[in-house]
Amino acid sequence: MELLAQLGQGFAAALTPAHLLMCLLGVVLGQVIGVLPGIGPSAAIALLLPLTYGASPTGAIIMFAGLYYGAQYGGTLTSVLINVPGESTSVMTTLDGYQMALQGRGGVALGIAAIGSFIAGVLGTIGLMLLAPPLAKVALAFGPPEYCMLVLLGLTALAAVGGSVLKGLATGVAGLLLGTIGIDPQIGAPRFHFEQSWLLDGVDFIILAVALFGVGEVLASCRMASANPILNVGRVLPNRAEWRQAWAAILRGSGIGFLIGVLPGAGATIASFVGYIAEKKVAKDPSRFGKGAIEGVAAPESANNAASAGAMVPMFALGVPGSNTTAVMLAALIMFGLRPGPDMFTTNATLVWAVIASMFIGNLILLLMNLPLAGLFARLLQIRYSWIYPPILAICVTGALSRANNVEDAWLMLGFGVLGWLMKRYDWSAAPMILGLVLGPIFENSLRQSLTLSHGSSAIFVSRPIAAVLLALAVLAVAAPLLFNKKSPA
Amino acid sequence: MRLRIAPGELALALFFALLGALWIVAALRMPLWSGFVPDSGFMPLWYGAILVALAGAILVFNKDRKTEDPVGKPLLVVALVAATVLGLQLAGFAPSIFLMLLALFVAVERLPLARSIAVAAGTSGVLHLVFKTWLGVPLPVGPLGI
Repeated sequence: MELLAQLGQGFAAALTPAHLLMCLLGVVLGQVIGVLPGIGPSAAIALLLPLTYGASPTGAIIMFAGLYYGAQYGGTLTSVLINVPGESTSVMTTLDGYQMALQGRGGVALGIAAIGSFIAGVLGTIGLMLLAPPLAKVALAFGPPEYCMLVLLGLTALAAVGGSVLKGLATGVAGLLLGTIGIDPQIGAPRFHFEQSWLLDGVDFIILAVALFGVGEVLASCRMASANPILNVGRVLPNRAEWRQAWAAILRGSGIGFLIGVLPGAGATIASFVGYIAEKKVAKDPSRFGKGAIEGVAAPESANNAASAGAMVPMFALGVPGSNTTAVMLAALIMFGLRPGPDMFTTNATLVWAVIASMFIGNLILLLMNLPLAGLFARLLQIRYSWIYPPILAICVTGALSRANNVEDAWLMLGFGVLGWLMKRYDWSAAPMILGLVLGPIFENSLRQSLTLSHGSSAIFVSRPIAAVLLALAVLAVAAPLLFNKKSPA
Repeated sequence: MRLRIAPGELALALFFALLGALWIVAALRMPLWSGFVPDSGFMPLWYGAILVALAGAILVFNKDRKTEDPVGKPLLVVALVAATVLGLQLAGFAPSIFLMLLALFVAVERLPLARSIAVAAGTSGVLHLVFKTWLGVPLPVGPLGI
């Protein structure tokens, strides 16, 4: 009852005209930021931070939260329509979303993404409301061995993402290898930078994603640009059969996304990967994935949105950022003179509950905004590809430049773009490479930290219960297909 | 002798094998183990070795030989994007992007000139406005100040 009363007070605060306006501004800005590759919600919040000096802390945090989850909606648009992920969290959506668009189901892909994101956003917010304090304690129990095993579980999926097992593993390991470029996080020494100072920061995830998916797709499709058939937009709302396929994926994606979002440092990107992979694992016919399976859109989209709510759990309950974006939001809270931490729910209850209530409102605004817009945006597919792909390339170049403001990133993007084209041409899946690049540094770091903790004993991975369970799941993930599936490797 | 594997596929497998070999060589020059924990070169060495092994396995097991599509147009597009990236620091962001779009529309796609100019100017203008003016990204500036 007390919870409902606090939520009621939160709604009263969130529904004031000023806070409603901040919520609307946040979700609209988030949607736009989500569409633009190279600029993420954390950068956008950092840019907006100075503009909120005079504003109320509650209004500012409502706007930042709206921008965060709004960006998860926005990234979907470009993933589905032009195969360019606007956000790192939308990479997995490109796999089936773009295929759906090519099949004339772009409207449904955007529709299910909006509905899934809405449901996940609401479920994630309920999770934040009910489970913040206990979940935050569990998240704190995640030390390096648990992270290491969690990532190991993620790595077992490298081969599962693509079509050919061997090619999927090869591109995944290539991603792991690329993840070692830059400064060794343990000892601070540079490695694999080939005396190029711009490589000290490593290969950025978004550069690789934009190159492999965006530039690679353009190069693969431009040959047929003038002959490309004009695609049907199709309807936006899923029919009964599609809904039957998607609803469980939305629920699973929401649960997975929220739990991963709670873990500090894991974030919505990993959540979307795990959401997609889990859906492929449980599917009766996994071969549909990558060919326009609606669950392949519903699961990662739900996961990334639920993760953005989950990431607020450690931020509010512990004062620990769950992602890059919540780290900037945490800085904003401190800038406003607030002290994030365990007593946030008592000392700043009005702000916390107003933000939670605004997340319900913001997700509803996004759904109402996105369903009609989905059809409108999907009409872009009716324009001849000759007019579409040059601006896509311009967006890719701009996205690469805006990442760290250096031209070398644009060269890197072009190089990886050519690689992406060849990979597409010969059916080498690009997604495992991205997964490897994301998970590689976390895996190496946590492995070395774990062994430091245990003085070199690998028993640490089986003596800690959570780590042992995750290790068992990883072994099962590898062993089960080998035991029950007689597929050819290449 | 007819290759069992398409030349492009062979090139990809060899590229990944070379990448793995490069990592092995570089990793062997780094400390591999320090005390009781892996050092800088340990994981890269493993990644490199696994990649070489996988690339080799692909060369052995791959039996698909797909028909090769012509590559002229994609290579022309790559050349134009490369010219654009080169031109970014000479001509600035907006003019380079405008010229790339115009070249792709008119020279590559043979689209009507007037509409091509309008779309190229509109796209480069919007990108400049959003990224440079609104988001404050310091994009390369040329002699025209844009």
